[in-house]
Formats: sequence, C-alpha cells, structure tokens
Amino acid sequence: MTQKHDKHLILDNCIKCSICVANCPVVKVTDKYAGPKQNGPDLERFRLDEPRAVHPSIEYCSNCKTCDVVCPSGVNVSAMNCKAKGEYVALHGAPIRDQVLGRVELICKAAQIAPALVNWAANVKPFRAIGEATFGVAADMPFPRFASRTFLQQYKPKKINNPKGKVLYYPGCYVNYYTPQVGLALAEVFAHNGIEMVVDSFNCCGLPTVSNGLTEVAKGYARNNVAKLNSYIEKGYKIITTCPSCNLTLRQEYHELFDMDTVRINNETYDAFEYLLMLHEAGKLDTRLKALPQRFGYHQPCHLRSVGFGIPSLEILRLIPQLEVHNLEAGCCGLSGSYGFKKEKYPISQEIGQNVVQAIQEAGVTQNITECGMCQLQINHLSGLPIHHPIQLLAEAYGLPSYLPK
Amino acid sequence: MMNKKTDVLVIGAGLSGMMAAARAAQSGKKVTLLTKGMGTLSLTSGCIDLWGYEVDNPKQPCGSPFAQIQKVVEQNPSHPYAKVYDVLKESLTFFQGICDKDGLTYRDNGGENWLLPTAVGTLRPTYLAPTSMAVKDLNKVKQIVVAGFDELKDFYPEVLVTNLKKSKLLRPDCELTVAHLKSGWKKLYATSLAHRLEQPEGQREVIRQLKPLIKPGAIVLFPPALGERRDIDVAGLISKGLGCPVYEVTNLPPALPGQRLQDLFLKYLKNQGVTVILSSTVTGAQVAGNRCSHVTAEGAGKTFTISAQTYILATGSFVGGGFDSKPGQIEETIFGLPINTGDGKWASGEFLSLKGHPFNRFGIDVNDRLQPVDGQSKVILENVLVTGANLAGSEFSIEKCGNGVALASGFKAGKLAGEVSR
Repeated sequence: MTQKHDKHLILDNCIKCSICVANCPVVKVTDKYAGPKQNGPDLERFRLDEPRAVHPSIEYCSNCKTCDVVCPSGVNVSAMNCKAKGEYVALHGAPIRDQVLGRVELICKAAQIAPALVNWAANVKPFRAIGEATFGVAADMPFPRFASRTFLQQYKPKKINNPKGKVLYYPGCYVNYYTPQVGLALAEVFAHNGIEMVVDSFNCCGLPTVSNGLTEVAKGYARNNVAKLNSYIEKGYKIITTCPSCNLTLRQEYHELFDMDTVRINNETYDAFEYLLMLHEAGKLDTRLKALPQRFGYHQPCHLRSVGFGIPSLEILRLIPQLEVHNLEAGCCGLSGSYGFKKEKYPISQEIGQNVVQAIQEAGVTQNITECGMCQLQINHLSGLPIHHPIQLLAEAYGLPSYLPK
Repeated sequence: MMNKKTDVLVIGAGLSGMMAAARAAQSGKKVTLLTKGMGTLSLTSGCIDLWGYEVDNPKQPCGSPFAQIQKVVEQNPSHPYAKVYDVLKESLTFFQGICDKDGLTYRDNGGENWLLPTAVGTLRPTYLAPTSMAVKDLNKVKQIVVAGFDELKDFYPEVLVTNLKKSKLLRPDCELTVAHLKSGWKKLYATSLAHRLEQPEGQREVIRQLKPLIKPGAIVLFPPALGERRDIDVAGLISKGLGCPVYEVTNLPPALPGQRLQDLFLKYLKNQGVTVILSSTVTGAQVAGNRCSHVTAEGAGKTFTISAQTYILATGSFVGGGFDSKPGQIEETIFGLPINTGDGKWASGEFLSLKGHPFNRFGIDVNDRLQPVDGQSKVILENVLVTGANLAGSEFSIEKCGNGVALASGFKAGKLAGEVSR
C-alpha cells in the first residue's frame, strides 16, 4: 500500500460528478447538511488558503465514508470533511456534550468504578429526559450496557505449542467495555487454530474524538497507539481487530488526518476474519465445523466497506454447514457512533436506519450479525431483534464457548 | 500478501462490468467484481441508448437504432458494435429480464427509438426507458404540466417549457403549464426529494398543489426524483392521485433512475453469488507470456492479489478511471495496454462539434473475442477481455451508443468467460 501525500492532486481529481452527493445517506433525509461535495472538495479549495472556510453544516456529516467509497476518482472526501470539522471546533469550540461523547475512553474508564450503577442510571427515563434538555443527548437512544468485567480483565492468554502465527489483539473500547464476549470468542477461535494471541492496554483508536472535531485529543491517542503497535510489529506480531472502525482508523485515518507514517501498521493490521481467510487460503484453517441450521441477517458496517476488502466474514461463515446468512445490503445503519446520540441528529439517524429495518422485514430474519458494536446497538434499537458479532457464530460452529445467549 | 482466487474477475461496476458479471455467473462461474467507486451507471439518465441519430444526417433522430447500427457495422469494422453485433439483441433481452424480475420494467417503443423530453426541453432519442420515463404518445397530449420545486437546483421548469414549446412533435394546441411546487425544506437534492416523495405526506403535498392545474388530457413531467426505493411506485401513486399520467424526465446527476438501475444490478449480482468488493483499486498486473496470472488490488486498507482464469477490464475509460492522461500521454492503468489514439489529434476545434472529439474514440483495439490486440492484430493478453467505454472507435456522446456497446460487450465478455474450462 502506498500512501499519497499530494493533497492538491487529490483535490484536483474531483470532477464534480456529484456521485458522493447522490449516495450520501445524510443528504437524503435532511436539509441541514450542505452535502459531501460542498463541504469537502468544493470548500477545501478555499481552505488551502483560508482554513476558516468551513460551513457550519459540517457538524451534520456522520463520517460514514460512503463518499470515499463511491468516488471513482479517488478523492478522500471524508478526510477533508473530518479536518474541516476539526477546524470548525477549533474556531468555535465544541459543546460539553460533544467533548464528553467524543472521549469514549474516558467515559468507559470512569464507568468502571461501578458499571452496574451506570447501566441502571443510563436507563432511568427522568435522568435521560434531563440529559436531553440540559445537554442535548437524545433520551430515546439507549446507551450500550457496560459489562461487569472488561475483556482485558477476563482474558487469560493460553499457551500454544508451536503456534501457526502470533497476533496482538486490539479489542477497541466497545469490545473491551461493552461486549467482551466478542474478544473471548475470538480468543477461543484463535487458540483452536493454533494462533497465539496477546493483548495490551491501548488508547481509544480516536475515531469518536475525530468525529466530534476533537482533533488534538485524537492526535495524542494516535501517537501513543502507533508507537505501541509498531513495537509489537517489530516483534513479529500481526495486529488483529474485530471492530471495523478501529481497523480503519489504525490503518488509514492516522495517516490521512495527521500525516503519520502508518504504512507498516496498515500492512500488518487485519480484521479478524481477513486473518482467518488468509489462514484458510493457505490451508491452515480448521474447517471441521458443525452444522448450524439457523438463519441470520448480515449488516455490513460502513467502515468495513470502506477498507476495500469485501466481506471476509461472509466468506468464512459460508464454510459452516446449514448456516444461512442473508446479506441485508441496506447501506448505513445511521448511528455513526455518537452522532445518533445527539438530540438534533437522533431523528436523522433513525430515518437513515429505516433502510435496514425494511431489509430485515423483507428478508424475514429474526436475528442478525454485524462486526461493528455501534451498528449492533442501532439495529437492535431499530428492530428489537438480537444481534451478534459473526466471530461468535464461528466459535459456536467449532463447538467452542461462543458466549451467545442460550 | 493475501491472494484471493476466483474464476472470473470483473474490474469495474458500470453497466458493462455488471452485465459481464451477471452473464458469467449464469454460466456457473465463481465471479468477483471489484470496483474503486460506485460505478458511473448511477450518474446516467437511467435510459438505455443504442444509437441516437441517422448515420448520414447527424441532426436527425433515427427511428430504428438497429438499422443504423447495421449500417455502422458494415461501413466501419473498427467500431465496437462490429465486435459485438452478434449478441446485441440477446444482451438486451438478458438486461430486460434482470430488471423485470425486480419490478423495474424497461420498455421499448416497438423497435423504434423513443423521443423523450429532457430537463432542458429537448427531445432525446433512446431505445429502452423505465416505465416512469417512457412518455407515451407525446404528440397526442393536450396539456403538459412541468412540475419544478423552488428548493431544487438544476431543474428549471421555465427552461423545459420554453424549449419544448418549439418542438413540432406536439399538438399545435398543446398547452404547456409551469408549476412551482414548494416542499417546505430549505433546499433539496434529487435524493432528498425522492426520499420525501416516498412518504405519503410528501405525495399528498405534491398532489394538493398540482391538482388545480390539471386539465383533461394532461400529463405531468417531474424531475427524475420520483422515489429511490423500487418497492414504492411514486410515479404510480402520484398519477393515481392526480388522475393523469406522470413521468420523470432525464436530467443531470444526481438523478434517481440511474441510481435505481445501479442498485438493482448490484443486488442482483450479490444474489447470484457474485463477490462484490467496493472501494478497492486494481493497480497492476502480473503477466507471463500472453496471460495474466494475477492482479494487485489496493483498498484503503492493504494490498492483496487476485488470480482468475479470465479478467474483464470494464474500467470505464477516462471517467471511470480506467485510462489516465497527462499532456500528450495516455495510459491504460492496469495492464498498460496500448491505446489507439487514431492520428494523435485529441480534440476538435469546436467544443460542441457534431463530429465529436477524437479523445472519445480513444480506446483499446480488440478482436471479435474482445481480447486486446496490437497494431498487427496479434492478441496481447488472451485471458483479458475488454468491454464498454474502454473499447476504441466509438464517439458515444454523439452516436449515443455508450449503453448499447456496454450491454453487448459486457454480455459477450461474460459469455466468453463462462465458456472457459476450469
């Protein structure tokens, strides 16, 4: 992978074809956002001279990166928008709400004092009503529930004799604090296939801070993470993620937003299923899988799509006998991290997500899978149906602990 | 580095790439379609043009496009139609079948081109149109109401009416009426308008404002934004509410008819088991002798390779990013195939010349099996097939043959790839 540095060239590649506007899920449902082309390459031309050339509607960009995916000319529209958002916040400041919602790592660490109490308080309606009135946090959007113990607290590395590979797992905030079962299921799958998996404590990848325009905070996280990841890569570890947004941020965003050299990290970082697929292509994956006669809807997270690798989980799940996975193909779920938690954006987020609801109804599925924790939260909220990470199905098919509800 | 294996790799998600993938999948091949953007089909009008004007009189819209194409094939063996004429009708049937199955019916006009109104009030010859655009009997209509939205850019009903009035096709007493509708939004894009019109209150609002203007024998022309979803027939619902036929006209992108077609095809392919990889760019190829052994793809993530029996180069010339040009220089970006630039002249002196511009004819020379050939007609890469706008020798913007060439060449490439034994 080459990393291109000439920003002017990328800007000049925009031929104003409007394909980004045509596919933008936000523009479709609201008139509050001027659009990816207008906020991105159009205004970027002015920002080369005048960084303050930022349209206030930039805060309505949900950073789903659909614009990058659909552009035939390789213009990184979303990076321009992210930088513009940072510029806007640097000029005008961010509301307390955004400063808090963006700092997912801090929220999660603070909640560790008493996760059960936080879970309780987060679902008390009067508290949420006050939260909406005072801070602008949408009362109807449920917060994810903290696990009683984090993934890092629960995970005990297993000794693997003659490992086929060694990996460092970067669980990200969502798996570590909310869905440790995903990391635990991954650990089982890797150990079963003779892969040595280690963990360490890292900063948040920084995507929520970027999305809220808190660029400097994100840069601090990025510096720490890059140094630590590189030290593992030097020792021969591959970096594994289960969260598509962490994956994209480590691989691409540090470079695009902060001009950091992440060529090596990009080359050595894998989505868990991408890694498993690579093992499979090399004939090293155990394919003795028991039948799972069940039907699931699959939702592809936007940030997985934007990595440009297809859907490796679907290729692996195809190996499981009698398992039927229906690709919902419904586009963005609408939540986009903290976006859908904001009072003024909650209706937009819910409206975007109606495509997913419709696809679930059409497919007639009663349970779903997706890689992204936030997509899981939104789809469960929209549909009321259970939703899991695909790695849990693979663990189940191996007959390993899958941490699926029985 | 990870290597993916597939039978057929299609590079590009435009009309020719998706046709190729669909046809190869029908032969039971394992097909992977890889694309860097969403494919420029979503930027097109949504109509399928085969040939627009008489070969001998480029100002005169032609009746049957097939008669003209036959003439072209006889007169000009280097035109892409000459390589794919054998499958043209078959490919149209295949295309209509796919669309029909998903409820997006494409209508022909009994073998003749349609003449359909555009957003600027000209009449555009086209061969297949979705039901929502196929204006029937324009010459018998007593009133044409053109519905614009004040908040929508790029659609000005006065322009449409002023120019359409000049058409000799209309009845002399045909009344043209401008309707300025209000949506209540600060601004509209075609996509947000489409989304609003999918909601019952959006339809009611439009019907309420239009109804008083409608006279017996009227039709209503809308910007191409009558819904995005294919399960809600917005045109049909508004038509029912108004009691008269309702149509979309062609316009600049964003325009929904092209987007619906793109969406339909991508979903169809995935349902046929085609692996679709978005947001990944093929940057190079490994060639041994006259065969490609694998190509290299770069996503926003990392680089990987894909090996296939057959590679279909559907990268869409300049607009799709298949060709790159620098002053005095042009290259095909993946295989470095030679590009036929005719006598080396790029542009006509006149911007809107009816002869077109030479650069639109630039492309890759192929044989009847769509394999790229050199100046001596020798096959350069036997397992690479070239389709659509990448083919040398057509001036799509003047001839209006882009969709037809894409359909037929994509279909043929998919068919040929399907015949390769494992």
